[in-house]
Amino acid sequence: MPRPTSFGKDTGLQIRMTVTMFLLGLVYVALVVALLAAGANGVTVAIIAGGLAALNLFASDKLALAAMGARVVTPQEAPQLHAMVERLCVQADLPKPKVAVANTRMPNAFALGRSPKSATVCATTGIMELLTPAELEGVMAHELTHVANRDVLVMTLAGFFATIAAYIVQFGFFFGGGAMGGDDDDNPSFFVLLLVSLVVYVVSFLLMQALSRYREFAADRGAAIITGRPSALASALTKIASGMNRIPQKDLRAAGELQAFFIFPAAKGSISGLFATHPPMEKRIAALQRLEAQLQGQIAA
Amino acid sequence: MGFLDILRGKRELKQPAPDRLFAMSTAYVKLEMELHLTSTGKAAIVFQPLATADFEQLVRDMEEIVRSTGSENEGSVKSSDDEHGYRWMIITDRDFEDLVVGVNAVSNEIQGGGYGDRILAAVFAFRDEKDRPLYWIYNYKRGAFYPFVPSGGGQQRDNERELRLKAQIGQDLPVEPELERWFPLWGIPI
Repeated sequence: MPRPTSFGKDTGLQIRMTVTMFLLGLVYVALVVALLAAGANGVTVAIIAGGLAALNLFASDKLALAAMGARVVTPQEAPQLHAMVERLCVQADLPKPKVAVANTRMPNAFALGRSPKSATVCATTGIMELLTPAELEGVMAHELTHVANRDVLVMTLAGFFATIAAYIVQFGFFFGGGAMGGDDDDNPSFFVLLLVSLVVYVVSFLLMQALSRYREFAADRGAAIITGRPSALASALTKIASGMNRIPQKDLRAAGELQAFFIFPAAKGSISGLFATHPPMEKRIAALQRLEAQLQGQIAA
Repeated sequence: MGFLDILRGKRELKQPAPDRLFAMSTAYVKLEMELHLTSTGKAAIVFQPLATADFEQLVRDMEEIVRSTGSENEGSVKSSDDEHGYRWMIITDRDFEDLVVGVNAVSNEIQGGGYGDRILAAVFAFRDEKDRPLYWIYNYKRGAFYPFVPSGGGQQRDNERELRLKAQIGQDLPVEPELERWFPLWGIPI
């Protein structure tokens, strides 16, 4: 008799993620209605933002790699890392991504690319020195889960309308003012659009951060399932977190833009939980410990 | 993985594909007669050992079973852990047919215990006429074989030879169509 899968279901996480996406959708519908009401201007903004989002999606991985000082390495240059990623790919049923290494002391890892076929996973030299092979395997499995879940694509699409709203808010004066032509100075529909955009921008920002946190939990869970070793990832997170605190502030700020798909975000003093892209470490470790208990058969799945 | 699974960030390990392992026993005739590859009499199955009590029990039972079935043909089985933390069950048997049966017995046992998603691959070791090592690897999750020819030194592989092998074996073996999934396994202990 086949026994049930080793890990239980993650119904709570799934519900929170679905509700967040639903709310995002709701907010965006309001924006689209306002855009359409604003007529030609609104649609133009949407098209421009769409183009920028597409550009971002297709060109960002190379830029991001360059910004991190990361370099794609051949199997001969990093045999251990390649062999590790290859085995995880067999296990996760993924095509092999490109493997990159960033030469920095900061212990971190991240994944890039819109689809599994074009993905790149990157580890820093710092993380490879800091972690044991089993812990590093957990971290790479976390990144591969981001790839499998297409998190870059999901977050770019989820942020698409938020980007439009941001553009409208930022350039509201250009569109609301001169471009409209002489006698139509106080265009009421555009004022409404500006107001709606502002609200959409704020609300969607908070929702996006929440969504990002849920996807981190999902990636942690995925990593635990792929490796079968939740405790190894928990131990890696503890080490990285304590390692991060010792790194000078300058390094961290330089990395600010790239944080979304890091295994662990660069610490920035006290950020309120609401604005964080990553869940607090204690919560991530608690979730991993629950998975370990399920695996060991201590909790009913 | 479906669209909904992507949206929900759901991760479940893929279970083994429908079993096409036995295609190897029929393809062996062609490998031996036409391609002049001979089996070394060794095959291995590699999986992720979980650090749980019931999994360890399962592995102990499994070794027992394979040992008892193998003894009829002077076959043997032993296990070893590699540097990446995966476990290899190495089966030795002079009869190729029994080798495939032995590998199948191990994988059946793991799947029967509910841990089928932990099996990585089965490996069959061959030598060509110049006595160079050559492997056919069976990916359980894909249900397909692919050739792996290490060409000595620093993790180099002979892609040309591998592609030629794919063409030579033709329809006789289900070969993995996507080349980016021809994952090498370095340091195969057979």
